[in-house]
Amino acid sequence: MNCEHYQEAIGELVDGARMDEARRIEVEAHLRDCAPCRALLADLRQIRAAAARLPMAPPPERVWAQISAQLPIQASRPATPGKPGLLAVIFGSGRLRLAWGAGALVLAVLVLVLALPRLRSTDTRQVASGTAAPTAATGPVHATDTQLVQSVESELRLAEQHYEKAIAGLEQIAKAGQGTLDPQLAGTLQKNLAVIDQAIHDSRVALQTQPTNELAQESLFEAFRRKVGLLQETVSLMNEMRKGNQAEAAKIIGNMNKS
Amino acid sequence: MPYQMPSNRVEDGRAAESRLVAKCIAGDADAFKEMYDTHATRLYNLACRMTGSTTEAEDLLQEIFLQAFRKLSSYKGEAALGTWLYRLAMNLCLDRVRSKQGRMDRVTVGLDDERGEAVMPGPGRRPDTVVQRLDLERAVEQLPASYKAAFLLHDVEGFEHHEIGEMLGIAEGTSKSLVHKARLRIRALLGALGSTTPARA
Repeated sequence: MNCEHYQEAIGELVDGARMDEARRIEVEAHLRDCAPCRALLADLRQIRAAAARLPMAPPPERVWAQISAQLPIQASRPATPGKPGLLAVIFGSGRLRLAWGAGALVLAVLVLVLALPRLRSTDTRQVASGTAAPTAATGPVHATDTQLVQSVESELRLAEQHYEKAIAGLEQIAKAGQGTLDPQLAGTLQKNLAVIDQAIHDSRVALQTQPTNELAQESLFEAFRRKVGLLQETVSLMNEMRKGNQAEAAKIIGNMNKS
Repeated sequence: MPYQMPSNRVEDGRAAESRLVAKCIAGDADAFKEMYDTHATRLYNLACRMTGSTTEAEDLLQEIFLQAFRKLSSYKGEAALGTWLYRLAMNLCLDRVRSKQGRMDRVTVGLDDERGEAVMPGPGRRPDTVVQRLDLERAVEQLPASYKAAFLLHDVEGFEHHEIGEMLGIAEGTSKSLVHKARLRIRALLGALGSTTPARA
């Protein structure tokens, strides 16, 4: 009995593929006579059925936050003096209907993360090339350079305030649950936060002397993003620890170590 | 199974996808989020199972969608958006797995990926014949990358062999053969599920 000869046909039966009538009769005859091949067919069918039932876990919410922070999404309405500010446009447009369970705080952070590339890609570039006359692509003449600089500064201040608010909220949650963390881990987290705080401080000092320095702006917001990220991780870590979910907690710690 | 709509709805589905893609290209963040919400979970699980690591899968998911955003203008609607995304995702997953494998091979010389199928009655052998989920996950993890890719796309994701051929750049027959070999390998790893391994001629 040449079982190898029927291997391909068994694969096709598992796939539910159509088979030539004569071939089907031949394969069925073999299966009737050959218990090992019957067992093989049954096993492979079971494997296929079990594979189709494998569960799907959703990705952590931070993945989308990280993606959206890097998207070069163009602002549909560039911010101009006299019109609502960029953040007001984004906040007020009702375009961000994100059905996320983590609530308004996460939403506020995300809006900021989404808003920043817009700030950089529109306002600051206009400032960077602000000495040239506006071209057709940038729309009608709408401001002097000074007005633009002021507008960018106020938008950045606003963005900064929102970040600070989000950070304060997260810090409060983190502080409230501090007891759930292992003291050594809490110490490491504090140390990492201190490093980020130092980066925030340095960027602020640089921005005081050069308010439109794109690199300093980017460093400041990068530091804000890192701080928000670290605090979010801390909060999820505390939640997992509270639930006693060691595996998930270890995973988060692994991520923290990685970043 | 995903992406198997009744034929009269395929056209509508494609038209909706084209509109969504056009919005994404125009820089509509909501449209891109919609695309993410529709496909992220399946792609994330695919990446988890391909790499065996949630951390790597998160990285990959990011890379998949950032690359998709950059490449969307080259999507012509000739395949379902999901198929296009899976092709992109699988390329990135395989690159990642192979570069990792490359690093491992340098320290584990002589590792033979194509060893026979009817080997290793795994430690998970039980008297019952029900395939346990965790055992299956562990067995899948041990498959060679090409077996794993074809198996996940066919048996887990429900794609047809011709679609898998297109995604992996292989012939339809090769996809059939890879999936069959993957199942045989899994069966061997699961210890034949309590039944007898067929005699080899």
